[in-house]
Amino acid sequence: MMPSIVSNIIAIYRKELQGYFASPLAYVVAGVFWLIAGIFFVAILLGPEGIIAQAALRDAQGQQIGVPLPPLDVPYEFLKIFLQIMGSLSLFVLPILSMSLYAEERKRGTLELLATSPITNWAVATGKLLGVLTFFTTMVLPLLGYEAIALSASSPPIRPEVPLLGHAGLILLAASVLSLGMFISSLTDSSILAAFLTFGLVLLLWVLELIASSLTGFWLPVGEALRHLSLLKHYNNLVGGNLDTSGLAVFASYIFLGLFLTAQSIDALRFQRS
Amino acid sequence: MIEVENLSKVYGSTPAIQNVSFTVEPGEIMGFLGPNGAGKTTTMRILAGYLPATAGTARIAGYDVHEASLEVRRRIGYLPENPPLYPEMTVEGFLHFVAQIKGVRGRDRLRQVNLAMERCNIEDKRRVLIRKLSKGYKQRVGIAQAIVHDPPAIILDEPTVGLDPRQIIEVRNLIKSLAGSHTVILSTHILPEVSMTCSRVAIINRGQIAVTNTLENLMAEIAGGSGYELEVEGDVTAAQNRLQSIAGVRLVEILPSSDLPENRALFRVLSAPGAEIGREIAAVLVAADLGLYEMRRNQVSLEDVFLKLTTSEPSPNDEIPAVS
Repeated sequence: MMPSIVSNIIAIYRKELQGYFASPLAYVVAGVFWLIAGIFFVAILLGPEGIIAQAALRDAQGQQIGVPLPPLDVPYEFLKIFLQIMGSLSLFVLPILSMSLYAEERKRGTLELLATSPITNWAVATGKLLGVLTFFTTMVLPLLGYEAIALSASSPPIRPEVPLLGHAGLILLAASVLSLGMFISSLTDSSILAAFLTFGLVLLLWVLELIASSLTGFWLPVGEALRHLSLLKHYNNLVGGNLDTSGLAVFASYIFLGLFLTAQSIDALRFQRS
Repeated sequence: MIEVENLSKVYGSTPAIQNVSFTVEPGEIMGFLGPNGAGKTTTMRILAGYLPATAGTARIAGYDVHEASLEVRRRIGYLPENPPLYPEMTVEGFLHFVAQIKGVRGRDRLRQVNLAMERCNIEDKRRVLIRKLSKGYKQRVGIAQAIVHDPPAIILDEPTVGLDPRQIIEVRNLIKSLAGSHTVILSTHILPEVSMTCSRVAIINRGQIAVTNTLENLMAEIAGGSGYELEVEGDVTAAQNRLQSIAGVRLVEILPSSDLPENRALFRVLSAPGAEIGREIAAVLVAADLGLYEMRRNQVSLEDVFLKLTTSEPSPNDEIPAVS
């Protein structure tokens, strides 16, 4: 039983990857992502308000008052800001990647093939999530290249766990959003609708922290609970180099929830005796 | 192999099929015939486990399609109404993918895919992207997809739609070649398809099974309704009486016709089942010195039965064949 599930997941995974690399939309999304990421990269590092300019300004201020200010940890600050912005940018890009995961299968009628094959909904959903996540990881890889070039110039060298945690956080954030987006995509046969609904959900998760902090008094515990669900808060923790297990648990829960709901929603199509 | 009992499906408040029952024996090819919108696709989808039935049961190879869906899905090949294809894949790549998710072992996959392509005559397009194929090729890739894992039961929803006449013949031959080792149920609204490929036929109309029978029995029953049309010159009543007196004649009627010359009439003579009355008719008319200008055998075809069964207002002389 086990090998056949793995073989099914691999089959779906390969089909999905092939679909992404054959899709013009995926290339456009990746291209726009790289372009915007590149602009931010340059602006944050070298721009007039950029990190290097700020560090220089701070040194100059220190010299003026005669007391040197504590120096800015340029590589760390740079990576933190850059990854935070990449996180926000991803929230716009991910709904476009997840929108057609199931909507397109429903529209083309290929869901009828998947649903009448001896393959479980879990295997299909897992294969699809791994596929789209691989594509997103491919989109992130070139950024690692520029970062490596910039950070290699830093002295003393940056602690390796900082970029490692930050990028792992980015992938986890993406996996959570994609998993929920996949569920939304399984509810409709319109990709556009799925993209908008997913984007709405992402916005909600984004502002959760704002809502949480506006709750006071009696509602304070609710606010605390909501704050814990915020994806960006846990992401920013990881980007800051703090590995907190509760954050990892939240990401894992979102991913599992998305997979579970997707499997249920496809099952419901088949098993509701209306 | 396929047993369907009192299957019903209701969409909202409109019933799509009601109390559909039939069985298909192993190795048989069953034609599921009906006009568009009669509930063919709904029945096929329930059999394939894609739609749940509202009531009733369907079993394939002894497994309930609803309760033991996974076991059923291991044993069926299914061509939906619209062939489920991934346009960005090549024909070969797609069939490999399908073989894999249908559970064909890695070492058998290449052989099975090649065999399916050979049987469906699509080898020349093996490396072509599906989105570049014509409708006929797409339909055949759809059929290949349904047989690539060599399933014991094959469900084909309108397999010859979109094919040109030559391809239709090829596909029909392919389906016929599946008989024996596979159990096939195919739906169609094209009558010759059933008479050419199927050993049994179920006619469905407005969600209900009108007839299920073997093709021979059905045709034999219908043959009972065959007869002749005659154009006769002379005394109309005399001619009618003479014709009526022939042994084996069930009914003589005068057909209305306006464009006949003076003193002529058009008759329809229906024979009793099994009786051959052509010889007698000619003899009687000649003996009575009546003029016989035209005599045409009127074989009732599957089309007539189909129309009889699926048209709501029966004409007075129509006899619905007994449901068996």
